[in-house]
Formats: sequence, structure tokens, C-alpha cells
Amino acid sequence: MRKSFIMQTPSVLWFLAALALFTLSVTILSEFSGVDIISTSFVKTLGKTLCLCLIAVAMDVVWGYCGILSLGHFAFFGIGGYAIGMWLMYARTEGIVLTNMANQTIPATPQEISDAIGNQIFGVVGSSDFPLIWAFADSLTLQLLMVVLIPGLLALVFGWLAFRSRVTGVYLSILTQAMTLALSLYLFQNDSGLRGNNGLSGLQNIPGFETTSQATISIAFFWASALALALGYVFFAWVVSGKMGSVVAGIRDNEARVRFLGYHVEGYKLFIFTMTAVVAAIAGALYYPQAGIINPGEIAPIASIYLAVWVAIGGRGRLYGAVIGAAFVSLLSSWFTGGGAPAINLGFYTIQWTDWWLVLLGLSFVAVTLFFPKGIAGLFDYLVRK
Amino acid sequence: MDTLLEASGVSVTFDGFRAINNLTIQFAEAELRAIIGPNGAGKTTFMDIVTGKTRPDEGYVIWGDKSISLIGMSESQIAQEGIGRKFQKPTVFEAQTVRKNIAMALQNPRGPFDVLFYKKTKANGARIEEIAEEIGLTDSLTRIAGELSHGQKQWLEIGMLLAQNPRLLLVDEPAAGMTVEEREKTTDILRRAAKTRAVVVVEHDMEFVRRLDCKVTVLHEGSVLAEGSLDHVTSNQTVIDVYLGRSHA
Repeated sequence: MRKSFIMQTPSVLWFLAALALFTLSVTILSEFSGVDIISTSFVKTLGKTLCLCLIAVAMDVVWGYCGILSLGHFAFFGIGGYAIGMWLMYARTEGIVLTNMANQTIPATPQEISDAIGNQIFGVVGSSDFPLIWAFADSLTLQLLMVVLIPGLLALVFGWLAFRSRVTGVYLSILTQAMTLALSLYLFQNDSGLRGNNGLSGLQNIPGFETTSQATISIAFFWASALALALGYVFFAWVVSGKMGSVVAGIRDNEARVRFLGYHVEGYKLFIFTMTAVVAAIAGALYYPQAGIINPGEIAPIASIYLAVWVAIGGRGRLYGAVIGAAFVSLLSSWFTGGGAPAINLGFYTIQWTDWWLVLLGLSFVAVTLFFPKGIAGLFDYLVRK
Repeated sequence: MDTLLEASGVSVTFDGFRAINNLTIQFAEAELRAIIGPNGAGKTTFMDIVTGKTRPDEGYVIWGDKSISLIGMSESQIAQEGIGRKFQKPTVFEAQTVRKNIAMALQNPRGPFDVLFYKKTKANGARIEEIAEEIGLTDSLTRIAGELSHGQKQWLEIGMLLAQNPRLLLVDEPAAGMTVEEREKTTDILRRAAKTRAVVVVEHDMEFVRRLDCKVTVLHEGSVLAEGSLDHVTSNQTVIDVYLGRSHA
């Protein structure tokens, strides 16, 4: 059965081959291998890009296949990042505090240690008490569980409320956007328990690997991201193949027909919404240790809108389209906004790309939607036909 | 004959307009029935009520041997109970092949996990072939449904309903926009289907109803005006006044 699925969708094999080749090439050219053509910071950028590709694949399933334009999937991505960030920050601070206190003549009591860690982490928002949500922060296993549980539950409850009321189309998009905005605004507050607008930082330092160079750590995360993308891709390719794919595409194209065929449409939407939210959270949990910092700005609605733009430009309704879109647009975006693109002097006006990139992106989005509804991936159709 | 579906004293009001007014109607097992009536008579609203899309303000709808009340059940539950519905416009999944369209409708478990781990079986494959044969689309199984002609789409949708294996089939204006030959074929399909299940056809076209050669119910202003053979109802003076008179005027 497995075999027939892979045979039926050769694009999965092509994708896996391309991803493997890419991962190996980057590793060989990295600082880690000694060749040092690709800097450690660029390895991190590429690793982060792979995580963005993974959430784009999830977005494509929920939007491109199931027709739910969620403008809130970055909320799940962010929660995944916060969940892993809490452990990273706690464990690292604990290590530092314990080292400092080791020189004291009188051994520190557990309460003193806890206070010192709390002070280190929450001093920046004028507090030293551990909020309740940090209860499991000392356990990597539990915090990893939180990476999938919290976004999964949030998606389940939110989706259940929204879908059972038959909220669809643009209204659902607005609702998901409101969810991510509310979450972001909540996290901006200093007493949210997650350090307000400071967010969580120093996430690139992995507790237990203090002596390991960032070159090695970056490659490890790069590989982990590539593996997660490969697994996520194969999993979703399997989900959207076969009968599930038929029903889900049916819901996108004609919800009422699916309902009168006897399928409980809301259940399917909830299933897809929750599953993609969990994958988005896993992508986030891999992304933020590479980014080093997470703050509430990351889950602002604009992030989720970008996600939709990537998928639209890449090509909705096919998974490799989402990957191409996310990789292409996000890398291009950091090139333009990072000052990589040369400014264009028109004589009377100089186009600074840091200011004009968004305009360019917006125009490309409109152009793609109007003239190339199949996106970049649509080009493959021409290639295959020839 | 046993009663399959019984609607009794059903009323529904939309913004003060009584779409269905104290309607009482019954369908028997394995019956072919045509419902006719002028625009606004409540034909489509009646289907909406039976299939769970609209909830009536009053009355009850009783289904099957166990006399279950359909009111308050969701569309998908009612469909699983064995009521299939064909929309007025052909409604098929245009982006998918004819085979996938029928496969989705086949009577199999409908839960997300059942569907996720669904495996193709010989029995299902044979059933798809059988249905394709019945609706005359055997040669088109691998075609994308969107490429089919209007009439073929109508048949595909009827085929999907048959694949559901319903005990009651509600068909809304199946002959609209069809050529004469297509109509004949549609009549044949519906009459064959009615041998093993109840088929209720809502139709405007008198010629088509005549060809169905079955019991006719005339709806007017949300209630039953007359019932019986086509000749019987068309000779009824009230029917002539409100319906035929108007359409021939």
C-alpha cells in the first residue's frame, strides 16, 4: 500500500531526492565540514527556511486542498517556538545560576536557586516569580509534549467552535486572524508570563551542548529541519492522496454536496485544521532555536498573511508548490530587506529595496493571483507536457 | 405498501413568507413520485426540510421502519440514514475524475479515519463499474468530471446518489437543459432506480412528468393541492386555475 502511494505520486520521490541533495550539499559546503563556503549564519537561514517550507506545506493542505484560508497558522508556529524556548531558557539559566552558586560557602537551598533563576529570566519584566505556565519548563520531555499539545488543543477548540457554527470563507479568515492577533497582543503584556515584548532569547544556546560550536549546532538543526520537512511532506502527500484527498478537495469545491453525500464536513475540517496546526507548531519548535529569539511580534497577523502569499505564489493545491513558494519568497525577502539588493537610482528618486520590497511582493501577489493562479509550480505542467 | 417517509403538518416561514404551510405528504417504499407546482410552491423548501438543511417551525417528518424523526438531524446524518438528494444544477466534483466522484459516494464508513485508511477493494471497484454502466458513463470513468457535458454531469450526480444506495432519492429538476434523447435516458434511469427504492422527482416540465408515468403531487403555496395520476390532477379545476392556467396563459 505504501509502495503504491509512492508510485502514484512520483513528485514525492523527486522532492525527497532534491531535499537530500540540497541537505548534503549545504553540509559539505558549510563551516562544519571545514569548506566554509556557506557561513554558519547562512546555514541557520537555510535551516529556518526549511521550517518555513514545512509550515507552508501545512498551509497548503488546509488552504490549497481543503479550502480553509486560515490566517492564523503562524500562531501555532509561534506557540511551538515558545514551548521549546521555555525549556531552552530555563535549562540554560539554571546551568548559569548553578555555576555561579557553586562557589558559595553555604550551599544554596532549592528555593534560592529557583528565585535566582526566576530573577534572571523575569527580571526584565520586573518579576521573579515563575508563572504557572512555566510549571513544566524544567523538563524537556514535557515541554516537547507541550509543543504539540497546546497548539493541537487550541486548534481543536477554536476549530470546533468555528466550524460547527458553519463559519466559512472570508469570515473564517477574519476569525483566525483575530485569534492570532489576540494571542500576539496578550503575549505583548509584561504579565503574560512570557516576558512581554522581550520574548524569549538566547535560544541558540542549547543546554548540555555549551562547548559545542554553533557551526555544529547549526548543522544539527539544519538536518533536523530537513528531516521534519521530509516526514511532513510524505505524511501530507499520503493524507491528500487517495480517498481522504478526494473528500477534502470535495469540501473545498462543493461543501454542500459532500455533506449530502453523508460526510460530516465539520469533522473533516477540524481534522485537517488541527493536524496542520500541530505540524506548524513542530516547524516553529525547530525554527526558533535557529533564530535564537522569539517575541510576540512573530505571531502578528502579518506573518500568517505572508504564509498565504508564499503558498499562493508557489502554487496552491500541490505540496511542492508550497515548498517552492516559501523557500523562494522568504529567501528573496531576506535578500531584499537585508540590503542585499542594490538600490536603483532613477535620478529623481532612489529605490531603496528595504522600503520597496513589500510593494514588489504585493504586486507579485496580485500578478500571480490574476495571471498565474497555479503559481510557480504551474510551470512544471508546461515542462511535463513538453 | 409501507410508508417510508411521512411529513405531517409541516410549516416553515421565511421573513413572514409561509414557504410551507401545514404540508402533509407520504412516500411509500419503491415508489416513483413526481412533485409539480408553480414557482414558489415550496418544492425545493420541502426537499431542504427532508434533507436537514432547513428546520421547520412546526410539524414532523418521520422516516423508515423505526419511525425516526428527521427533524434536528444534520444533513450528513440524514444522508447516512438513506436519503439522497440531487440538486437542481448539476453538482459534481468537477476537479476530480468520474471514478473518484462515484467512489466518494459509495456506501462505506464516513468517518475521517475510516476514509484516511480506506483501501480500494474489488467489490467497490465492481460497484463503480456497475453504476457507471447504469448511467452510461463506462467510457468516461477516467475523465475529469468538469469535462463532461451538462447531461452527463446530471447522470453522474444521479449515479453518485445510487452509489450511496439510498432508500429515498430526492431529485430536483433532473431534465432541465437536456435534449430530448437525454431526457429519455434520464427517465429510464429514474424508473429503473424506483424499482428498488423510492424516487421523488420535482419537475416543471409536464412532458417529462408524463413520461415518468407515475403518481403526481401538486404543491401550491406550500401545501398539497391535489394528488393522483397525471390525468387526474390535470383535470382538477383548481389545479388548472392555479398552475396550468397560469403557465399556459
